Amino acid sequence: MVVPLNTWVLISNFKLAYNLLRRPDGTFNRHLAEFLDRKVPANAKPVDGIFSFDVVIDRGTSLLSRIYRLTDGEPSQPNMAELEKPVSSEVVPVIIFFHGGSFAHSSANSAIYDTLCRRLVGICKAVVVSVNYRRAPENRYPCAYDDGWTALKWVNSRTWLESKKDSKVHIYLAGDSSGGNIAHHVALRAVESGIDILGNILLNPMFAGQERTESEKRLDGKYFVTLQDRDWYWRAFLPEGADRDHPACNPFGPKGKNLKGVKFPKSLVVVAGLDLIQDWQLAYVEGLKKAGQVVKLLYLEQATIGFYLLPNNNHFHTVMDEISKFVSSNC
Amino acid sequence: MVPYDSDGLAGSAPSSSSSITKPPQIDGLLAGAGYKVPSSELRHVAQRLERLETAMLNSASHQLSLLASDAVLYNPSDLSTWVDSLLSELNQSQPLPSLPSDLSDLVPNSTALDSSWGMEHSLSQQQNQNISQHQQNQLMVVTALEEDSAIRLVHMLMTCAESVQRGELALAASLIENMQGLLTRVNTGCGIGKVAGYFINALSRRIFAPAGSISGVGSCYTYENELLYHHYYEACPYLKFAHFTANQAILEAFEGHDCVHVVDFNLMHGLQWPALIQALALRPGGPPLLRLTGIGPPSSDGRDSLREIGLRLADLARSVNVRFAFRGVAAARLEDVKPWMLQVNPKEAVAVNSIMQLHKLLASDPTRNPAIDIVLNWIRNLNLKIMTAVEQEADHNQSGFLDRFTEALYYYSTMFDSLEACAHHPEKVLAEMYIQREICNVVSCEGSARVERHEPLAKWRTRLTGAGFRPLHLGSNAFKQASMLLTLFSSEGYSVEENEGCLTLGWHSRPLIAASAWQAVPDVEPALGVIDNNGVVL
Repeated sequence: MVVPLNTWVLISNFKLAYNLLRRPDGTFNRHLAEFLDRKVPANAKPVDGIFSFDVVIDRGTSLLSRIYRLTDGEPSQPNMAELEKPVSSEVVPVIIFFHGGSFAHSSANSAIYDTLCRRLVGICKAVVVSVNYRRAPENRYPCAYDDGWTALKWVNSRTWLESKKDSKVHIYLAGDSSGGNIAHHVALRAVESGIDILGNILLNPMFAGQERTESEKRLDGKYFVTLQDRDWYWRAFLPEGADRDHPACNPFGPKGKNLKGVKFPKSLVVVAGLDLIQDWQLAYVEGLKKAGQVVKLLYLEQATIGFYLLPNNNHFHTVMDEISKFVSSNC
Repeated sequence: MVPYDSDGLAGSAPSSSSSITKPPQIDGLLAGAGYKVPSSELRHVAQRLERLETAMLNSASHQLSLLASDAVLYNPSDLSTWVDSLLSELNQSQPLPSLPSDLSDLVPNSTALDSSWGMEHSLSQQQNQNISQHQQNQLMVVTALEEDSAIRLVHMLMTCAESVQRGELALAASLIENMQGLLTRVNTGCGIGKVAGYFINALSRRIFAPAGSISGVGSCYTYENELLYHHYYEACPYLKFAHFTANQAILEAFEGHDCVHVVDFNLMHGLQWPALIQALALRPGGPPLLRLTGIGPPSSDGRDSLREIGLRLADLARSVNVRFAFRGVAAARLEDVKPWMLQVNPKEAVAVNSIMQLHKLLASDPTRNPAIDIVLNWIRNLNLKIMTAVEQEADHNQSGFLDRFTEALYYYSTMFDSLEACAHHPEKVLAEMYIQREICNVVSCEGSARVERHEPLAKWRTRLTGAGFRPLHLGSNAFKQASMLLTLFSSEGYSVEENEGCLTLGWHSRPLIAASAWQAVPDVEPALGVIDNNGVVL
């Protein structure tokens, strides 16, 4: 099996650039990372019917989110007061998106994630809120989860995001890689505080454990990712001295939480067959099932990490279809 | 190694028909990710990436660390060049090359500048946490009524601008009255209320001022304007970033030259130059002879302010043993300057420095050659080593009034927002007045009076490359130092971004000013015809 050339170039470029950014002593070359990251500004002028704008959700932590919406047919730029115009349909899904980057890389305004979020808007006819959460190693656990929680509360309290049908915000949590991990933990907090989440979408979510699984040993270094770099990112995110059985990375491990009887949202979990951490992702799915939760696993045997960044392969289209069904089935 | 699709066509943009004049087709999907790679080069880039991986695996980890911290990297969007420059760096640091010798010439390494060179400007130390808490407390709880009024205000502003565009001035005038009434119900101390106030003011000038009474040029150059400029300089980082980044580029361009000449298109108080003088003083090998030509308006009060500033700078230069000569050129407008006034010496390396000046040349007079073309042309022929240009990153020169107005509303809201979040500067209101003048000019002036004709980086790139310039990329060292400069300011909302070899400074991920550097493309005299890659075209 073969990866399309431009995808290969994209992901290899990331891999090699990231090698330069991780220092052996656990620090991160943030200046170089920001220099290299390709970013795009928000654009209030609709492109393909979608416009975006940035909002400060929390001034104390400078927490920004980029909001993507469909225009209601107007090709011109909405004026500033119209950016937060109330959504006009009976049911409008609002997807809170957490970008990937292994907790250390990328931002809400990274070009790859701006593109992905725009696709999600188009496919799901949703409003997408992409959270610019604080990253490791400068900000360890639980900062990213705290920021996700802040964003969730903010979204839940926007009257302009309420669906007309029931005057409530129809919220989904989504994320890829570390973003998938964040989505899980934010959902956990939501159930503890009574905010309704309609569904979780986890794309190649980032989980781990202390033990070395078969897929980790078999696929180490084979498809862009090494165990060594995975370990580095967990050491950068987890509290100092914690091991990989910490519930943040191993939610159904020895220190994990039992979700039996908990009103956890239904989950769509996408696992790439060439991702070395798939055993942990599959264990996550098992953990949800054992706790009686609703979970759909989409296992793509021939997919590598990052396959969803460019629409040039079948896996991409399969996943987008599944996501759109997942989000619309809640009407 | 992950195998990739070797025919390279899956998912890439269709290849273009062969044509001498067409630019190479860029892979559309990678472009969406921020990378410019011609489709035809994908395979080549993939191979270089494989080589790079091998080179990195063969390097010791300390070599990689050195590469990451010291190498100056440029324009990550140009993936091919970027990969090759990394390969060169690794090749340089390895005692025995493990790669075949068909690598291109080593990219010259810019020496990492001694980042301890002092800054003349006083950068005050802010207490980050206290201020942001203070700001939080200051943000009033916006009542439903107030929020409503603010939204209505924006709606009305847009309607008013629209009626102005359509020439319905009576309607516009009545809207102004309504808006002024609404203003009383909104907090005009901060946020949308404050910005709306300025825009209402600018609109009413446009509507109520008799034609011709709004003069752009004369009013700009007064002592008052210099004062406002100074406070704008102190209150927020935009001008400091501009000076800092330009100086960095000029310093690098002047390496190895003993006689250098800086032409400053708008001297003002000469705030940019002490830092450059000090950096040149500390230059390994000793400072060059520095000539500075400062352009500025003639003083209205009889003082020769250009000369005064020149004398102060000369004192500073003397104190750090830099041979220095200053010349002032008084001109009401930049297009009145003629190259002979600058007295450029053929043996000098010349740097032209334009901080927010080039856009003023864009007002087009149909009876004459465009001023911008005239000026760019003589700049090119000045023995130019580098031109540093900093411009507002905004599209304020659109022909449609409503489009211009909308863009300005977004732009200046962001700028005011950033100003609000900055630590409390005693005369912040004066900095705001400086910005207000810009708003007035964009909104209420027309023709030659409208000098604030900001255009975005993309347009300047096209214009400058069309005028015979090519970019000198600003690198990761300039980026890092600019980022570090920003951390001296209280607010976390500022961000420096790299944009294909240029640097932008923005607030909350909206770029507000863009800094770029250029050199002149030498003229090629065709003999028989133009020779290009495919042969000779007559």
